[in-house]
Amino acid sequence: MRDVAIVGVGMTRFGKFLDRSPQDLGLEAVWNAIEDANVPMNKIQVAYVGNALGPQLNELKGTIGQHILTNAGFQKIPITNVENACSSGSSALRLACLEVASGNYDMALALGVEKMYTGDSAKAAAAMASGTPYAKLGFTFVAEYALNLKKWMKKNAVTVEHFAKVVVKNTSNGSLNPYAQFRKPLTIEEVLNSRLIANPLTLYMCSSMADGAAAALVCPKSLARKYSSKPLVEVAACELTSGSFPYPGKAPESTTSRTAKIAYEKAGIGPEDVNVAEVHDAMAPAELKIYEELGFCQEGQGGRMIDEGRTTLSGVIPVNPSGGLAAKGHPVGATGLAQIAEVVWQLRGEAGERQVSNAKVGLTQNQGGLVRGDNGACTVTILKR
Amino acid sequence: MKNLSANDSESGKSKIPVAEGLFHLPSSAEDKPYLIAAKCTQCGYISFPKIPVCPHCAVQDTMEEIHLSGRGKIDSFTIVWSTLPGFEAPSVQSLIKLEEGITIWSLMTGCEASEEALEIGMDVELVIGKVKEDQDHQIVSYQFKPVKNV
Ligand SMILES: [Zn+2]
Repeated sequence: MRDVAIVGVGMTRFGKFLDRSPQDLGLEAVWNAIEDANVPMNKIQVAYVGNALGPQLNELKGTIGQHILTNAGFQKIPITNVENACSSGSSALRLACLEVASGNYDMALALGVEKMYTGDSAKAAAAMASGTPYAKLGFTFVAEYALNLKKWMKKNAVTVEHFAKVVVKNTSNGSLNPYAQFRKPLTIEEVLNSRLIANPLTLYMCSSMADGAAAALVCPKSLARKYSSKPLVEVAACELTSGSFPYPGKAPESTTSRTAKIAYEKAGIGPEDVNVAEVHDAMAPAELKIYEELGFCQEGQGGRMIDEGRTTLSGVIPVNPSGGLAAKGHPVGATGLAQIAEVVWQLRGEAGERQVSNAKVGLTQNQGGLVRGDNGACTVTILKR
Repeated sequence: MKNLSANDSESGKSKIPVAEGLFHLPSSAEDKPYLIAAKCTQCGYISFPKIPVCPHCAVQDTMEEIHLSGRGKIDSFTIVWSTLPGFEAPSVQSLIKLEEGITIWSLMTGCEASEEALEIGMDVELVIGKVKEDQDHQIVSYQFKPVKNV
């Protein structure tokens, strides 16, 4: 297998854009990535397009990737649509990386797109829940997070103040990010006093829907220099797993822990080497649990991490410098690639006001879906310069 | 505080199950409800809803249908203020640890939708009740309600 580099990234701002189509959003992200990479568009040989809710929310019900990329000037190349719920974008990246690593192609595009604001938010909520057969029984994703976080809080002496602190951190970071949907930093009081969605989760702890797109171009490491003079960002690992079936009496294994372990082994990099991370804070409090699952701290220390400010922009391991899903919003299929774009910018030193200092290794964690009580998909990507 | 009622016999609409193959819908007072699960004859793994192949043994034809007792304890619960269209709010969603050792997701009924009305470890039992309605039907599903200790 060949070493793979991300030679360019691009995204749209995330937000509510009632007048923009998936084609329009996708075009902007793709051409931003092309310009960032300084790669002639006709050098792109293959594309994977992540999108989750298009068939339910948008006018176009199929081959969305082809529609977007044809509109963006592409023809003839192999295009494959990727649906892995909230981890569709990172799943598309993984396939693009494999095309390059295998030697099959020299320049691959991964694009994630989602158009969620359609003027009917109930329809979007129903679409998000529709990936589980439990939706028709009344199941909601926020409640699922709440049920598990409540157990976890009790076990680890974590409080709602810890939860709120994650939102305060992420919205503070997001206030520095021009790509974020929400630019207003929130206080602990504002977070705790926002309306309850499912105890103990309040409105501001839950990520908002969004419209947006993000893209990355990958090529062999040896070829990246030919196009771009920017610091080279190598893909050390891009791993994907699905959920497992809990066996009574045995501790359930988290998909994030499992995927991270595989990624760390493949990259030859440990959690202690990671300098910056973007993680899936679909419900911001889950970020604390993810610190533990990724090995950024010991089990049971997630609350302490946020108390001690270890994951702020100036902390030892800044997490969600972009503002995460809490501030950016969560355009399902685009989220995973927006995480990648942020980490690439952070590693290159191009993240502006929210730049963390001297990051050499970055990680993204992106999870999606609920299948038989576990995540449908989870990806962990490790990038290094 | 809002009471979630386990009694929904008044409307006169006919009852239809929210999904097939999840539970037995009683046809009379003597007929008891149960959850339909599958158990592996080799390793004992129980799955609800039932699945055709045991993921632990990874061979076909070891799963056979069983009926769960419908008794268990609350493992976690949450008062949900934002529900999907057609569902009551607030409502209570829960994780129930069943007597058989597995933990399943369920709506709660027959209780107040409040943090104070419920607690982890509380004994609960299966009921089949309405979760939403359409024009002609009560759509019923499995739910759990606190066991009243007399
Ligand atoms: Zn078995």
